[in-house]
Amino acid sequence: MTSRMRKSFWLLLVLPGSLFITVFMLIPLFSVVISTFFPESSFTLSNYSGLIRNVYFQQVFGRSVRLSLLSTLLCALLGFPCAYYISRYSKHKGIMMAFAVFPLFTSPVIRSFSWMVILGKKGIINQFLVASGLFARPQSLLYNEFSMTVGFVQLFLPQMILSLLGVMDSIPEDLTEAAGSLGATRFVSFLRIIFPLSVSGLVTGSVLVFTGCMTAYTTPQLLGATDTQVLSTMVYQYAMSLRDWTQASAIAVVMIVVTMLVSSVFNRLSRKINPLAA
Amino acid sequence: MALLELSHITAGYDKNIILRDFNLSVNRGDFVSLLGSSGCGKTTTLRLIAGFSEPNEGTISFDGKDITHVPLHKRNFGFVFQSYALFPHMTVFDNVAFGLKMRKVPKAEIRTRVMDMLRLVDLEGFESRYPREMSGGQRQRVALARAMVIRPDLMLFDEPLSNLDAKLRVKMRVEIRRLQQELGFTAIYVTHDQEECFAISDQVAIMNGGVIEQMDTPAHIFNAPKTEFIAHFVGFENFFRLTRVSGQLTAENGTPMHVALDRSGDAFTGCIRPEDVQILPPGSNALNGIPGEVLVSTFLGRTVQYNVRTAIGEFVVKADQSQVYPLGASVLLELSANKIILINPSNH
Repeated sequence: MTSRMRKSFWLLLVLPGSLFITVFMLIPLFSVVISTFFPESSFTLSNYSGLIRNVYFQQVFGRSVRLSLLSTLLCALLGFPCAYYISRYSKHKGIMMAFAVFPLFTSPVIRSFSWMVILGKKGIINQFLVASGLFARPQSLLYNEFSMTVGFVQLFLPQMILSLLGVMDSIPEDLTEAAGSLGATRFVSFLRIIFPLSVSGLVTGSVLVFTGCMTAYTTPQLLGATDTQVLSTMVYQYAMSLRDWTQASAIAVVMIVVTMLVSSVFNRLSRKINPLAA
Repeated sequence: MALLELSHITAGYDKNIILRDFNLSVNRGDFVSLLGSSGCGKTTTLRLIAGFSEPNEGTISFDGKDITHVPLHKRNFGFVFQSYALFPHMTVFDNVAFGLKMRKVPKAEIRTRVMDMLRLVDLEGFESRYPREMSGGQRQRVALARAMVIRPDLMLFDEPLSNLDAKLRVKMRVEIRRLQQELGFTAIYVTHDQEECFAISDQVAIMNGGVIEQMDTPAHIFNAPKTEFIAHFVGFENFFRLTRVSGQLTAENGTPMHVALDRSGDAFTGCIRPEDVQILPPGSNALNGIPGEVLVSTFLGRTVQYNVRTAIGEFVVKADQSQVYPLGASVLLELSANKIILINPSNH
């Protein structure tokens, strides 16, 4: 085969996928971005300046970023020990992984509904709180930031565990043995060896969780309330209820920018911990 | 008293017992190799000593203290892995400094000790490199430095050279021996490479099926193997039964056999290396002459190898090319009296 034929052969492999992405993702995305700067034929930043000055938007924006960051942090804290256990000590790795991934088989809607059952006024949490005498009457655990965070964490924890497991599995056992023989306790060798070497998985997981939380719609819709709106529900409201597509697009662009910014911050942090992490 | 003592060790999982009633003692300053094929239990033994795993039964004592259940990080033994096991996210300096940091050695002292150690393993100027930027031989020297810088009470080597090419292997084993003599540490070295372990060790323990068949100096093992397994291992290929008939050792076909290193006993397995058997024309005058017929002849370059069928079994003979015997030729094998080794008939 000549090199030119080989080139066109590779092109043929790439073509269908790139065509699909161009038509169904790049062009719509581009038109969304463009439409926010050119609502009427001339260029303007008014859509964005309006948003930034809008106090309600500021609140929603703050809540979205705050809840997403908090959920990412919680997923990392819960996911790390889980993934570590599965990769190092578990004899039944396959079963453990199936358990970790199992929630992904259920729709987010169903999962949100089950939280409504658990966290409701007559749910088991409240029953326990009242029965144990901690509280005299049932607490409102639903339709607030708490229930949204719980929903997010449960929704995206599998992604975090899978990302971490991927890198932890590739860390050879003898590295921790070497650290041990040099005098490191298990905890120290986790901190100095396992953690820095898993950072790339932590970043992947964090980006997935953060992006997921920012863009999740059903969970904040079902577990939140009107006074706990987030960007994704706000986009829906502007587009579907107010029919203001340009404003909805502007919010969408803000979401994309924030997600990209946070991802790059995660990446930069990881390079500080492990300079070799890609 | 021995520095390290393993007594009555049993190790393995329920169905797969690797060591059973295993014993080993190592004297201070000795370089001891555990030699054996894969699955013989040599690596298991080393990992038990290191503290990576614990025995099911038995005790390990070091310097008179029972360390069977002392955790890995409190043993102060250096371990060199086959895979090097360098920390990929740390520079050479940080890799070597790791053990000293764990011991809370002051910063300035860490610096001088790490640099001294890097100089010793000939890696000056490499301290800010990452492991992946180095060759296999350099990585292994970092691993050596990292293990030795903590001034371990015992150095443990798990096939440290088997990932290196042949030339580098020879260079590195001389290096390891030099370091051992310079620093005077006690070492246990696991390998399946016979030449490597004979070249480097004071004592060699040959393991087979979870037990030590013989532990001796390399020369002793080479010249006076105690079991058939070891004889095989060090190049004896011809084995034949000998019984004492009215005071004289006799082969199965009735030929009286003269053996320089005779000892008391009535039944032995005699063994001899292929290059110590002379192949002669039939009817030659020879002490310990066994007549036979050439089955196979293989040209090996400097020598010719014959497989010869005799009344006391098949023999492998290596001869020079001064006279070539064709297939089917009748020959006489002379088993030199001072090259025959007597071992007790195998009972396992």
